[in-house]
Amino acid sequence: MLKYLIVQLDDSAPSFCHYTLKDKDQRLIPLDLLEKALIWAMKENLNVQFIYPESELPTEYKKIIDFVDHADIASVCCEDNSLVRKAEVLLLSSLSIPEKLELRKGCAYVWRTTISDFLINYKVMIEILPHIDRINVVFTDVINFKDSMKAAYSAALDRLAQAIVSEYKHQHQVQLNLLTDRMLLNEMNNCNAGDESITLCPDGKFYVCPAFYSDEENAVGDLNSGPFIMNEELLKLSYAPICRICDAWQCRRCVWMNRELTHEVNTPGHEQCLMAHIERNASARLARRLRNECDIKLGKDFTETECLDPFERLNN
Amino acid sequence: MKKEVGCVSMEERDEIQTLFERRNGLNELAKILTPDNDELYERLVKDMGETSSKFQNWWDRMYEKYQWESTDDGNWEIDFNDGKIYLVTAK
Amino acid sequence: MRKEEVEIKENERGWQEGMAKNITFIVTKDCQLACKYCYLIGKNEKERMTWTTAKQAIDYILDNENLFKEESVVWDFIGGEPFLEIDLIDKICDYIKIEMFRRNHHWFDSYRFSFSTNGINYDNPKVQKFIEKNIDHLSIGITIDGTKRKHDLNRIWKGNNSEERGSYDDVVRNIPLWLSQFPDASTKVTISSADIPYISESVMHLYSLGIKEVNINVVFEDVWREGDDILFEDQLIALADEIIEKEYYKNYACSFFSDSIGRPLDPDVDNQNWCGAGKMLAIDSHGNFYPCTRFAAYSLRNKRPIIIGNIEEGINQNLLRPFITLDRITQSPQKCLNCEVASGCAWCQGENYDAADTDTIYQRSTAICRMHKARVRANNYYWNKLYRKLESEGMKQ
Repeated sequence: MLKYLIVQLDDSAPSFCHYTLKDKDQRLIPLDLLEKALIWAMKENLNVQFIYPESELPTEYKKIIDFVDHADIASVCCEDNSLVRKAEVLLLSSLSIPEKLELRKGCAYVWRTTISDFLINYKVMIEILPHIDRINVVFTDVINFKDSMKAAYSAALDRLAQAIVSEYKHQHQVQLNLLTDRMLLNEMNNCNAGDESITLCPDGKFYVCPAFYSDEENAVGDLNSGPFIMNEELLKLSYAPICRICDAWQCRRCVWMNRELTHEVNTPGHEQCLMAHIERNASARLARRLRNECDIKLGKDFTETECLDPFERLNN
Repeated sequence: MKKEVGCVSMEERDEIQTLFERRNGLNELAKILTPDNDELYERLVKDMGETSSKFQNWWDRMYEKYQWESTDDGNWEIDFNDGKIYLVTAK
Repeated sequence: MRKEEVEIKENERGWQEGMAKNITFIVTKDCQLACKYCYLIGKNEKERMTWTTAKQAIDYILDNENLFKEESVVWDFIGGEPFLEIDLIDKICDYIKIEMFRRNHHWFDSYRFSFSTNGINYDNPKVQKFIEKNIDHLSIGITIDGTKRKHDLNRIWKGNNSEERGSYDDVVRNIPLWLSQFPDASTKVTISSADIPYISESVMHLYSLGIKEVNINVVFEDVWREGDDILFEDQLIALADEIIEKEYYKNYACSFFSDSIGRPLDPDVDNQNWCGAGKMLAIDSHGNFYPCTRFAAYSLRNKRPIIIGNIEEGINQNLLRPFITLDRITQSPQKCLNCEVASGCAWCQGENYDAADTDTIYQRSTAICRMHKARVRANNYYWNKLYRKLESEGMKQ
């Protein structure tokens, strides 16, 4: 059941997820469509999230946006300083934080990075963690993850886990999606694009998520017809044979990446599973440390697993 | 005439089936390999000899174990589907 | 005195079924025939596999034994008409045998070469020489659809002549030779809408030719017209009567009748996929790999081909994952899950993909639904009648 409407306000709005923004010129969503979209969202009882471009929005847009309760997703490089000061989700293009930016709590930061960049620069996050409540690391090149990187990735996560333990010891329960989400969950908590959320883009059409916007063929309806996703059940966990037996609950289970890697929205590629399981295991180790060193128990107990890809359990 | 005279276990069946397949494979390979193929021809001849003895050895062992009925003018045959042994005679 | 129970001949399972990797070489997209029901819409005379491509494919497969762990292998050759390329096939098979032996590959102890042919070139001296050379490792199926009028209805010669020319006479002359070499051989019959009235006479005709096993199925494509299911049921009832009356059930089999079909399926126990796509590997003349030939461009009406790799770069294992993990429940609509006669209802993954609303293999086509139900009714009739007959004759408890 749909719960969220994501509105990409401009063609040039930066990516906050795995996909890379196609080279698109600025084009704001027409004002009348935006208004129509928000009325539709209210009628459908949907929470609205806006993805902003880096340029400041015209005043009339801001007025309409304020018409509904909503959450803002913006880049730290956005020209609109007041937006940067209040946005619920802020995108970092790198870990070199602009000097003028004051890190703040109560906001989720998103660091989009390549795997190699992460393995080189992850330690910078250790300095950031005391100043924020949450950071999501989003990899832009999951396909490049190789079995040979398992040890390095695992070690990097353990080093970050150590920093998180240290924060917990100072009564600061900081969240890093790769490590803390799994231990706070009791079931799968995926992106659920197309199932729980739908995206409206500046062309006035619905897409499963902004990643699918790269190709007009992917449109799944418009504001006149409402969203209609053919074979929508395939976006649900129960229709994903690998994911429904998996307990790497923090995995985004990105259906766009699934389609890129395996041609099927319900089937993850090996790389996505492998990374999610390395994170899951690092999370199990972190939970054990928090229990032992800080006397904090979060969620259900879970231990490390040797099987790093649930596909192996089905491939016999 | 074909008469069922016993059976072997599935493991025993698998053993003779593999040897049977190998023997057939070697025989058909022999039709295309010539002695000027230094690398493989000698290996093939040796393998044919070894496989043939393992094949005979299997029947000898099984006969000793199961003591199937036999006749001078008959042969045993195995059905690979179920491991049953038949005595096949000319009459 | 109690009589022995009568043996009812069943269709044979395929060689090493479930344990063999099926590797298909699409050696040519050419064929002498232009069968009306043929799913190969992109047949042509240009796309012929070269020896270099075939060799590179074999080397890739045998070099990567870790990716192909199945106990056995069936090297399959299809077209078009594969025997149009007998020289290439002979060279490929010799190379496979030598290389499996040279590399000590585990498949040397368990392999077959398999062919589906239209039978026209079967008596060609080159084909016959090939058969003699590989006789212990061959499985050859000649497709003959039944009586002359049924066969010639669909299986016609290619050409631009305004008058259609059937191929029955050119095939049937080779059946005795084929059966003398492969006495247990079976034939595959395909039924589309126009063939329905000839089913019973056709199966009987094939039996009369000495073919003891007839594997027959309706096409998976959505070609069925209103009332076809009733006609189909009538034909199968007539066929059942004939088989029982003339006691063909003792020595002849027809895959339409099986006592395991027409039951509800358990969602946990009976959740496996029907089709073997993805567990097979097909290679075309360009050196591209497919999960099955049905995913090659020449087989698809509406969709892009699904290429899972090529002889240069190997197989992209990620693209195989949807095929390997595909199960019955996930791809079936609710009406199939609730179906009281679901067992034996088949599907073709390629046709599912081609007919699906999106580019997915996870949407089962139900075009044969009414035909399956008609088959189940006739099948129930067949077994009830046969068992009653055997009981009354004291041949069955």
